[in-house]
Amino acid sequence: MLAVENITKRFATPEGTISALEGVALDVPKGRFVALIGPSGCGKSTLFNIIGGLVDDYAGRVLIDGHPIDGTHHDVGMVFQEESTFPWLTTVENVAFPLDVTGVPKAERLERARRLLALVGLEGFENRFPAELSGGMRQRTAIARTLAFEPKLLLMDEPFGALDEQTRLLLGDQVLRIHRELEQTTLLITHSITEAVQLADQVIVMTYRPGRVKRVVEIDLPRPRTSEIVSSPEFGRLVATIWNDLREEASLGMKDIELHARAGH
Amino acid sequence: MAETALNSVARSSAAIGPTRTRITLTRVATVLALALIWEIVARSGLLYEDVVPPLGKVAQAFVALLVAPATYHHLGVTAWEVLAGFALGFLAGVAVGVPMGARRLFGDAVGPYVDGFATAPKIIFLPIAMLAFGIGIASKIALAALSAFFPVAIVTAAGVRQIDPVLVRVGRSFRLTGWQMATRIYLPAMRAAVVTSMRLGFGLAVVGTLLGEIKLSNAGLGFLANEHYSNFRIPELYAVLLLVFILAVGTNSLMSRLGRRRGVKAPAL
Repeated sequence: MLAVENITKRFATPEGTISALEGVALDVPKGRFVALIGPSGCGKSTLFNIIGGLVDDYAGRVLIDGHPIDGTHHDVGMVFQEESTFPWLTTVENVAFPLDVTGVPKAERLERARRLLALVGLEGFENRFPAELSGGMRQRTAIARTLAFEPKLLLMDEPFGALDEQTRLLLGDQVLRIHRELEQTTLLITHSITEAVQLADQVIVMTYRPGRVKRVVEIDLPRPRTSEIVSSPEFGRLVATIWNDLREEASLGMKDIELHARAGH
Repeated sequence: MAETALNSVARSSAAIGPTRTRITLTRVATVLALALIWEIVARSGLLYEDVVPPLGKVAQAFVALLVAPATYHHLGVTAWEVLAGFALGFLAGVAVGVPMGARRLFGDAVGPYVDGFATAPKIIFLPIAMLAFGIGIASKIALAALSAFFPVAIVTAAGVRQIDPVLVRVGRSFRLTGWQMATRIYLPAMRAAVVTSMRLGFGLAVVGTLLGEIKLSNAGLGFLANEHYSNFRIPELYAVLLLVFILAVGTNSLMSRLGRRRGVKAPAL
């Protein structure tokens, strides 16, 4: 479904050119849930923006069902890391927003928005404003809003990054349910190993700068899953495997940051 | 679920603070206290009676003002000057403020001029306005527009700068057209700034208009006030001021209501 071919992206900075991504290639087959994990600075948010079409000026190709895409595309729905619900719209209006701008009649778009809100576990909160909701509820609203766009690929960049671990585990259950009910092809970008293993069929581990695909780990845990899976020995083994790969990259990243901090003084 | 509990906490925190009735009572008490002080000063003979006339006389003059047909002619002239001037100044202010906020280059280049002129009292432009537009309505409209322009441009630019960039990215990811971006993202995200700029701009348009009228004119509430002043009809002068004051408070509260209708700012969570 989604194919990323040989993507390279470099940034010009005052200290010279930084290579954010170097020859990144990956596939997300239809209906699969793939998680992309890497240390801070591995270019995963850059890749998110490239696939979503918000960044151009890169080398390589992004293909949906074999067709190369350029710029934003109706088949790719993005969920952002930051708080992104519209504070001036109610929950149901937020979710109906992409339908509104494409001209879906009011009764139909509100009906569809209500169904999606129920799917993300927010029935009863239709007429609340985002400010009246918790951070996790707002992110679920944002996910429902992107689902209303009916993308072939749901592309999420650390949607629960700002939330605490327990809330994330519980929200993971909701994401698993959404994936199961809609058979939604999903690419999740995350820095949380537990989140990646809990949710995905496949975890792609990235290297620290420049970002390359280091390893692809198949997550053969049975579905349907719930957050209870975190206590199984299989889960622990997979987390340990990924951490082994990631530890080296993460410490490279940390060294780099410390070096910069030292040079700054 | 834990979410529901969180939600009820978020809602209950809004109930803290003084009640509406207590605020209203304090307001009424403040007005009564001021009126009392006024009356004491008026009767004490400490100041000339002409400067601080007793409230009874002011009230009489106010009623006379309200029933006089000429009042409504002057009110109409002033209202037209203020509204036309405000409309022109507001549109020009938005037209300059939006690119000032959206484009770094334009903001850095033009911003200091706008800020500098904004602090200058606009009355210094009155002679030029009169030379250009005569002593009638047009010169007052020009002065009102000039007065309204600066706060609108500055607040609009600030409003554009504070738009959360992620909301713009959401709009792009949903493939909005340029027009949809403007009306569905930028405008609602700037609502508070637009309403604030309207209130500030409108207030200064009133000031500009009245200053122009007092200085040189043949109609309007400022002209009326100046006529009373020149003929030493002080209670009548206060009556006009009271009318202006009541109208200003009324329009201001109407405008702030516009801003309060929707769009609560999200707390950091």
